[in-house]
Amino acid sequence: MSFLPTDPLYLALACYAVGTLAALTSLFSRDVRLQRAGLVLMIAGFVAHTIWIGTICTRTGHPPITNLPEATSFIAWTVFAVELALWIRYRVYAAVFFVYPLVLLLLTISAAVGEHFAVLDPQLRSNVFMAHLLLTTVGVAGLLIGVAFGLLAFIQDRSLKSKQRGRLWDWIPSLGVCKTLGYRALAIGFSIYTLGILCGVLWSYRTNAELMDLRVKQVGALIAWILFGVLLQQYISGAYRARRTVLLSAGGVVAILVAIVGIRG
Amino acid sequence: MLILLGLNHRTAPVDVRERLSISDSQLPATTRALRALAGVEGAALLSTCNRVEAIVSTQDEDVIGTIVEWLAERAGASRAELEKYLYIVRHGDVVRHLFRVAAGLDSMIVGEPQIGGQVRQAFVSAQELGTLDSLLAQLGDNTLRVAKKVRTDTGIGEHAVSVPYAAVELAKKIFGSLRGLHVLLLGAGEMGELTAEHLHAQQVRQVFVANRSHDRARELARRFDGEAVQFDSVAEHLTRCDIVIASTAAPHYVVAREQVERALAMRRQQNLFLIDLSVPRNIDPAVARLEGAYLYNVDDLQQVADGNRERRQQKAQEAEQIVQREVDNFRRRLVAQDAVPTILELQQRLESIRAAELEKCLRRLGPIDAEQRRAIEQFSSQLVNKILHYPILELKDASDEPQERESLRRTIRKIFGLR
Repeated sequence: MSFLPTDPLYLALACYAVGTLAALTSLFSRDVRLQRAGLVLMIAGFVAHTIWIGTICTRTGHPPITNLPEATSFIAWTVFAVELALWIRYRVYAAVFFVYPLVLLLLTISAAVGEHFAVLDPQLRSNVFMAHLLLTTVGVAGLLIGVAFGLLAFIQDRSLKSKQRGRLWDWIPSLGVCKTLGYRALAIGFSIYTLGILCGVLWSYRTNAELMDLRVKQVGALIAWILFGVLLQQYISGAYRARRTVLLSAGGVVAILVAIVGIRG
Repeated sequence: MLILLGLNHRTAPVDVRERLSISDSQLPATTRALRALAGVEGAALLSTCNRVEAIVSTQDEDVIGTIVEWLAERAGASRAELEKYLYIVRHGDVVRHLFRVAAGLDSMIVGEPQIGGQVRQAFVSAQELGTLDSLLAQLGDNTLRVAKKVRTDTGIGEHAVSVPYAAVELAKKIFGSLRGLHVLLLGAGEMGELTAEHLHAQQVRQVFVANRSHDRARELARRFDGEAVQFDSVAEHLTRCDIVIASTAAPHYVVAREQVERALAMRRQQNLFLIDLSVPRNIDPAVARLEGAYLYNVDDLQQVADGNRERRQQKAQEAEQIVQREVDNFRRRLVAQDAVPTILELQQRLESIRAAELEKCLRRLGPIDAEQRRAIEQFSSQLVNKILHYPILELKDASDEPQERESLRRTIRKIFGLR
């Protein structure tokens, strides 16, 4: 029996799918053991995912972030790695209900679009361009984690205000922890994302003698940067409002998705 | 066999319980005295404010009378009087009873966590005194393991069932750790005092106390290693404090919406938890609409506590299932352990018959090749194993009633001619 190079991708996808299903089912069955089973499956998927990313690097000789499937796969990988680290440190059970489906969605896009092992255009073989791709991808992962925790903070805030416990009450950490983690992830993600955009501008200036090409992905990235910048400013200035945070986060996520889909253009 | 005698909050009034209760300093001597009673092979004593229980292992059920006499003497009561309040549990029911007690399923407040520690203390103390035999030692280990499993798997003791604890639980849900927080206690109402005490136990940084009578404020502040402040400086302290407990007798609001709004602006939207335990209310309900302010009155907290109590009852059903499974497992292990000597003897007896008959058979057959010899040996072994299968199964799966088990053992020994 021979193995195809794409086997780890589909294995990761299968593990993520079953793991996400187990985690979401645990939300209704209130069974912690089911959620742990989901986590084990997600970790198994993460191992396969890591092998898949290694396969791309070995085959193409460049980091796995140069086209849409590679970028979405790498964002999914980074998001899960950060989530796993936070879970180990804080045991935040509720984050999985947002993070697992997001990881699954991103890897599904990667698998559906195809274009594995794309050969890199010689023009793109530049350290600045690679830094741009790596930093924006990691930055986006940080921002998405920040959004997930911001959403948890919003849910917790509404439960405390309305004095009604929702299904997630027991699984969401304190409002303080959600806000702190959300803020830290946003601050770190935004800083890295900003550096990534600056690298992109520099590369564009060197290659095309212009600062920015205003195509869909650039406009999406810029709008996301502005929205997350405003959100971060709210956290820093103390002008935090739960509802406004959710709206800004939603806008930022849509803009990021537009930018990701725009990678193909 | 295992026997447990005891009384608890359901079977005996407090004046009977207190006569039998055993203090920590008396526990070693009393446990030794129980172990020294005629017929007692192993002993442990559990004494809490709600129950006193003597757990013993023995070969002789008559020991029950001796223990009742001993308890009656300790309580300064007649045997007949004490027997009205006592429950006596035997054999497998002791295991079930202890598992339930340690898991908090038999407590006045279902799932309360202290009882687990008290059961641990009882067995650890008995172990150190050397009053446990191997059966009680196994029972102790398993009881503690099951109690831990029930708490971990069901989370039965996780939620507060009293108003002050519900306030602490909510504070944790808002701030996470309460270390380093500042608390402002307004007034000297009993419930407010109790809540402040629980928060103080969570190692908050500072408790400020404001009361119309400054002397009373100073007195309370001393209790919490806090600071008494003037009642009219409340607005100023709102900016510094993270948790405000209002418990005054004032017939009007003492904390206004505008004050809280200003405080939140100064606090750069850091969350503020306001607990209004007064009737009539002391904190303007409009405060609840402010971003970053979480206002709970006494009814809200009572609702949280009631909800938690209901949830504990639901979790208790899950816990009962775990206990039942664990009792069955423990019982099976004990019965199997008990049957081991008879099973070994049985196997040796049949093996010696097999070996002797095989020898005779081979002599009668004369010279045969190795393969034929192996086939005959295999046949005899299989035959013996098949014959032993059901008796061994019965011995391992016997009733947990020692007399029934003994009767089965005697019958099997008789049938197979064991000594």
